[in-house]
Amino acid sequence: MKVVCVIPAWNEAKTIVNVVQEVKKYVDEVIVVDDGSEDETGRLARSAGATVLVHTINRGQGAALRTGTEYALNIGADIIVHFDADGQFAAQDIPKVISPVIQGEAEAVFGSRFLGERNNIPFLKKAIVLPLARLFNLVFLGVRVRDPQNGFRALSAQAARQLNWRQDKMAHCSEILWLARLAKINYQEVGVTVHYNNFGQRMSGGWKIISDLFLGRFLK
Amino acid sequence: MLQKVLALIVVAFFLAKLLWQQRKRRLSWTEFFFWLIFWLLSAVAILMLDDIDKLVARLGFSGSGIEVLLYIGFALLLYFVFRLRLRLEKIDRQLTILVSSMAQQKPLESIQNNKIENK
Repeated sequence: MKVVCVIPAWNEAKTIVNVVQEVKKYVDEVIVVDDGSEDETGRLARSAGATVLVHTINRGQGAALRTGTEYALNIGADIIVHFDADGQFAAQDIPKVISPVIQGEAEAVFGSRFLGERNNIPFLKKAIVLPLARLFNLVFLGVRVRDPQNGFRALSAQAARQLNWRQDKMAHCSEILWLARLAKINYQEVGVTVHYNNFGQRMSGGWKIISDLFLGRFLK
Repeated sequence: MLQKVLALIVVAFFLAKLLWQQRKRRLSWTEFFFWLIFWLLSAVAILMLDDIDKLVARLGFSGSGIEVLLYIGFALLLYFVFRLRLRLEKIDRQLTILVSSMAQQKPLESIQNNKIENK
C-alpha cells in the first residue's frame, strides 16, 4: 500500500526539514504544499526529500491540504496522511493512525489529543476552546468526536475522493468531519501526541471557523 | 418643511453626480439604473412622508414613517453586505482552484534544491 503524507506549510522554515525527515521514515512519499511562504520553506522541504507543490499566494491550510491530497491521489496513493509542518505532531504516531485503514477497520482515522496519550494542552484550550468546538460540531454538524480541530488524520484513497472539502482556511477540519458523516464514511479516532509550541487556534479563530462554515452553506 | 427641502437638495446633489458620472462613462448601465431608481425612490419617499406616516401607523408600527424607512434601509444594507461577502467568498474559491491547479502542474524543481545544497 502506497502511503503518502501531505504537509501544508506556511513560513515553517525553522521546522520543516526536521518534520519531513521524521515523517519520511514512516511513509512512501512526503508532499509539502508550500502555501505562499515568504521564507525558505519550499526549498528546504525539497532539500529534505519532499515533493514540493507551491501555492504562489497564501490560500490557507484547507486549500493546501486539498492541493496535496488531489496530487497524492493522482500519483496513486492508497492512504493519505495529513500532518502539520510546525512540529507539534509526532511522526512515530503515523503507523498507529494508518493502521485501522490498512486493516480495513476504517476509511478515515482522526487524531485525538484526548485519547490515551498525555498531552500538555494549554488549560484555556482544554477547558474552554475545545469543549466549545466539540459542542458546536455535535449540535450543528451532528459530528461526535473528542477532538474536532485535530489536523492529524489518515484517509483511504476512496474516502479522500469522497471528502470534497471546500473550506480554504481552518474550517476544513469541521467540514471534513461533517462530510465524513454525510458520506457515511466509517471513521475512528486514535490518540496522538501533540507538543505545544504555541497556543494555536484561539476563540477568535473559532468564530472565524463558524462564520466561514455558515457562509459556505450558501455557496455551491 | 425645511427638513424636506434639505433632504431633497441632498438627493438632487447625488442625482446630479450620478448623471455626471454616467456622462463620463464611469458607471455601467446596470449600476446607473440601480442608483437612479434608488435616489428617485428616496425623493418620492421624502415627498410622501406624511402618507408613509399614515401607512406605517395603519400597519400597526409605533414609530414614524422615517424611522421605519431607516430600519428598512438598515436591513437592506445588512443584506447587501452579506451578498458582497458571498461574492468575495466565491471569488476566493475560484482563486484557490487556479492556484491549486498551477501548483499541481509543476512541483518545485529539484534544480532549485541543488542550488540550496551548493550554497
